[in-house]
Amino acid sequence: MSDNIYLPQLARVAYIKEEVVGERSIKTFRVEAVDGKLFDHECGQCAMLSIFGRGESMISIASSPLIKEYKQFSIMRVGKVSSAFHELEVGDVIGIRGPYGNNFPVDDWRGKNLVFIGGGCGLAPIWPVITTAVAQRNDFKNITVFYGGRSPRDIMYRTELEKLRGSADVHLSVDKAEEGWDAFCGFVPANVMDKAPNPGNAIAITCGPPIMIKFVIQNLREIGFKDEQIYTTIENKMKCGLGKCGRCNVGKDYVCVKGPVYSWAELKDLPAEY
Amino acid sequence: MEKILDKKQIDGWVAALTEHPQGVGRGCNAAEAATTTLWEVHTPALDEGIWTYQPANGTARLDHPNTKQSPKEFAFPQREIFFSFEQIKGEAPRLTQIVPKEQRHAVFGVRPCDGRGVPRMDKVFTDHIEDKYYTSRRKNIAYVGLACNKPPSPNCFCLSVGGSPVSSDGLDVQMTDLGDRYFVKAITETGKAMMAAGGKLFADPSAADQKLLKKTHDDAVAYPQRKINDPDGAPAKLRANFDSPLWQEMAQACIGCGICTFLCPTCHCFDINDEVHNKAPLSGQRVRTWDNCQFPDFTMHSSGHNPREGTGARLRQRVNHKFQYFHENFGMHQCTGCGRCVSECPVGIDIVTVVNKVTEHVG
Repeated sequence: MSDNIYLPQLARVAYIKEEVVGERSIKTFRVEAVDGKLFDHECGQCAMLSIFGRGESMISIASSPLIKEYKQFSIMRVGKVSSAFHELEVGDVIGIRGPYGNNFPVDDWRGKNLVFIGGGCGLAPIWPVITTAVAQRNDFKNITVFYGGRSPRDIMYRTELEKLRGSADVHLSVDKAEEGWDAFCGFVPANVMDKAPNPGNAIAITCGPPIMIKFVIQNLREIGFKDEQIYTTIENKMKCGLGKCGRCNVGKDYVCVKGPVYSWAELKDLPAEY
Repeated sequence: MEKILDKKQIDGWVAALTEHPQGVGRGCNAAEAATTTLWEVHTPALDEGIWTYQPANGTARLDHPNTKQSPKEFAFPQREIFFSFEQIKGEAPRLTQIVPKEQRHAVFGVRPCDGRGVPRMDKVFTDHIEDKYYTSRRKNIAYVGLACNKPPSPNCFCLSVGGSPVSSDGLDVQMTDLGDRYFVKAITETGKAMMAAGGKLFADPSAADQKLLKKTHDDAVAYPQRKINDPDGAPAKLRANFDSPLWQEMAQACIGCGICTFLCPTCHCFDINDEVHNKAPLSGQRVRTWDNCQFPDFTMHSSGHNPREGTGARLRQRVNHKFQYFHENFGMHQCTGCGRCVSECPVGIDIVTVVNKVTEHVG
């Protein structure tokens, strides 16, 4: 049967990095095609990854579309499949199908100021936009990155974030004060409010836990961002990625097809079932 | 093509379909046709008090009210293997696709509501991208419908959702019971070929047959049914009443058993899981099974966050999907008024009452 939409391509794990250890551990994986090449993708799209015998999970592609050699995924250990990912070793072979969903309209944002706001493992879905914008630095005006974790040990992409300084204003935060931490203490929405980025000619892109997104959007609107200037990405539970299995359905949309990227102007029209 | 078939000849027609090759199935290529010229016929049969579709065995009877389950399982089986896998740790796995068998199936006695479920399922499985597990089965299925001379269930409401007890939507052949004979009408080319296979078993209808058909259909449409009061206004009104407290109130008794979705001719949600036969070396298969929006873990994220917490939100999802969301996407309700979910709900939740209450509620 040709065009079997459920049959994954095989990919080999080429690189594993422990980003965060402990209770909310996050690992980063880079995978390459076993035969031929993997699909191309756009910023914000997802892929259905599978570990045979354990199942499939929809994961945001965390690498820039400019990188063709591998796809990067940063996965928090929470469920059955994500736990199986944390047991993988370099060289192991997984399944991959995709890309799924729409994308951040990055081309429309050239010439604008970009404000990124991430929390927890919500940095991964917006990381392709950040790294693409930095790689094409002259196409964009100011780039600002807010990112927070519960504690300093929960900060992912630590080295990469430090490397962004010089190309972008980076504002890190942790939820609770801790010795040795001299950046902002408090929740991510509070850090945004504290720095109050200028909404002029700007686009704000946010991803994180649902509760964080809610307050970030509230605060952005208070600062003066319009609904059309705010973008987020929502990731409901998904099984097919093709708009059929019904899991990610929110209002008339199947998030795996119409989303995961929404402007707040679009998203506020849908039921808040995400 | 319109013909008369004596009721005594129904088994003869079934035999003709199962025993004599008659050309190619819908969308088949020549190679496929070679293996698919014979029909496997399924007819309603009473099995321990439950009407189910069974392989025809020479005693076909079409005096069923409606089958307990809808015929959706022919194109969308309750459990379906996508592929099998074998993998030695560290090595590339071997994946073997499981392709649906090329076999034509004729399903007899399909009620108009279930016939109308077919084009709705087609939309789901072909919109955006084609699901070949569905379409490769679907192209080999013919639905031989039976009009409802009177509502087979006290919970029928097909007239409220754009249907009719004499609708031929989704069918290949429509039969109408005229007492000792059936009026048989081909709806599609496949239907014509199936009737042609019956040859001399069929007679041409007389003027009296035509007259009786018209009267039977007119009476069927006039027969009282349950009623959704404002089906056309439902999408907008459900949207407006999304936050109504009525949802939780009406779902109070729901035990989340999901019978409503399993029996529904249009509910299509599914799960995909890996079944493991052997751990080392690994072997198993990836399987699709029907799933259910009334189960709490249907939407639960692995973090524990659940976007649809509570039975009220889940009842609302099922009702709104049928009467608002699907309508917004495809311009038709995703409910065909078969009444199964009303009749079989163990706690008496009634979609007709629910839609009426919510759409009449002024918040």
